[in-house]
Amino acid sequence: MDEGFKYVVPDHDPAVIELWLLQLADSALPIGAFAHSFGVETLVATGLLQVSDLEGFLQAWLEEAGATEAVFCRAAWQLAEHKNFRAKEWLQLNDRLGALKPARESRKGSCVLGKNFLRAALAVCKLERLEQAESETRKASAVVHHACAFGLVSGAMHFDQDRAVPAYLHQSIVGLISACQRLMPLGQTRAQQILWDLKAAIVQTARFSADFTTEDSCCFLPMLDWGAMEHPELFTRLFIS
Amino acid sequence: MAASGPEKGRMRASLRLGFARDDVTGRTTLAFSHQDPPLRVVRAFHADENGAIAHLHNVSGGLFGGDDLTLQVEVGKGAETQLTTTGATRVYRRAAGNAITRQHSEFMVSENALLEYVPDAIIPFAGANYYQHTIVRLSANAGLFWWEILAPGREASQEVFAFERVEMRTEIEAGDEVISLDRMRLEPGKKAIASSGRMGPYRYCATFYICKLGVDAELWLDLESQLRTTVPDLPRLEETRWGISTLKAHGLMIRCLAKQGCDATSGLFCLWDAAKFALYGRHAVRPRKTY
Repeated sequence: MDEGFKYVVPDHDPAVIELWLLQLADSALPIGAFAHSFGVETLVATGLLQVSDLEGFLQAWLEEAGATEAVFCRAAWQLAEHKNFRAKEWLQLNDRLGALKPARESRKGSCVLGKNFLRAALAVCKLERLEQAESETRKASAVVHHACAFGLVSGAMHFDQDRAVPAYLHQSIVGLISACQRLMPLGQTRAQQILWDLKAAIVQTARFSADFTTEDSCCFLPMLDWGAMEHPELFTRLFIS
Repeated sequence: MAASGPEKGRMRASLRLGFARDDVTGRTTLAFSHQDPPLRVVRAFHADENGAIAHLHNVSGGLFGGDDLTLQVEVGKGAETQLTTTGATRVYRRAAGNAITRQHSEFMVSENALLEYVPDAIIPFAGANYYQHTIVRLSANAGLFWWEILAPGREASQEVFAFERVEMRTEIEAGDEVISLDRMRLEPGKKAIASSGRMGPYRYCATFYICKLGVDAELWLDLESQLRTTVPDLPRLEETRWGISTLKAHGLMIRCLAKQGCDATSGLFCLWDAAKFALYGRHAVRPRKTY
């Protein structure tokens, strides 16, 4: 690059902001997402989830867990909007999302990803809001869930809420599909086709989540709960959860 | 989104029960009750040395469209109460235009008290629309064994997941901390119940909470492992799935999926007994009724 070269595109240019979102929502972001299956490994190991069921399974995941996480992601995004950081609400939001996750491994997995995501965001962009969130969480010995971290970072970085929430869901679905590729005979082409076909469902789930609050979102995935609860008992495990 | 719907045919009623420990005899008695039919409790019996057992009875035979019932139970300091139902809770079809069926339950378990809530299954009939909200508040050293079994419908009449909607919300609070929020909404006409994440090949879903404040976190992990060793001995294991996990604090949740309701019930009794022995050093006393 020439020494005298100057960028003419400012940081607040919508195209730059869009690229930041793409980077943070990329499944390659090093936060450890590839180490978690959130119970899927148990379902596959016991024959309760097969390639032929996968699209329906992911659809159900979006309608239930995805919808709930989207609601919390939105709530965290909104917290970033306030002039003064509402630490108590931030801690409470994460605490309530944890209470909605019955399986220990999945709950902890979500916290590990949340903490890593917040740190990854801070490493590339030191925003005061994110530093406050990390500091308050540490002071309270509390946890940060992935959905909340993604929402707060998105709000702090001025990503459009209606683009950030589907991006979060997309990242989550990519993680689950990637886990399935390592667990079952699912080829690259078929995996990409499933991901392609779920785009409308992802957007619909994200839009639907705007009609709910953190107090009324529901999640009915008892078989996945079972899979996540019994994951520690699998004889051979590829994943942490 | 909270339950909503027309208010036509709305019928409100409540049952309030207060159990107290007699300081002289050490026995728990039904010290207070306020009963609006159709919810009734005839009397409390002695369950074991100190505890009381009461049968919740719906004299109308089930829950109807428009019913709006409230159940409030307070278990006083040191008291030990077991609550069960006289039979399955039938949720009838909602007539066109009628309000949805609602039940709101609140359980207050005071210091050193114990609540064992072990009802029969909830059976939502074809066309039923049911909303249930339960809050359990636990004080210092309070204990809880609490389960709920959801049936798919009247299987003998070929009604399997033929209800319109069932929404069940359960909140467990330990002091100021919410330790579990379980919110399930089933809409078989809109969402695929048999999806691999939801029910898969199973028809019954049960949730069992085992909580006690003041117990070390490490002990919950030990109890989780111990209960897992009980699972292989449960009846007809090939027809059920049992998931066990520590909650974020103060307890465990067990999630059961079963093809038949009797397998879920039998397994719950075994796990209840094992957990009660581990936490209280004595066996669970089954409700006085025939299963």
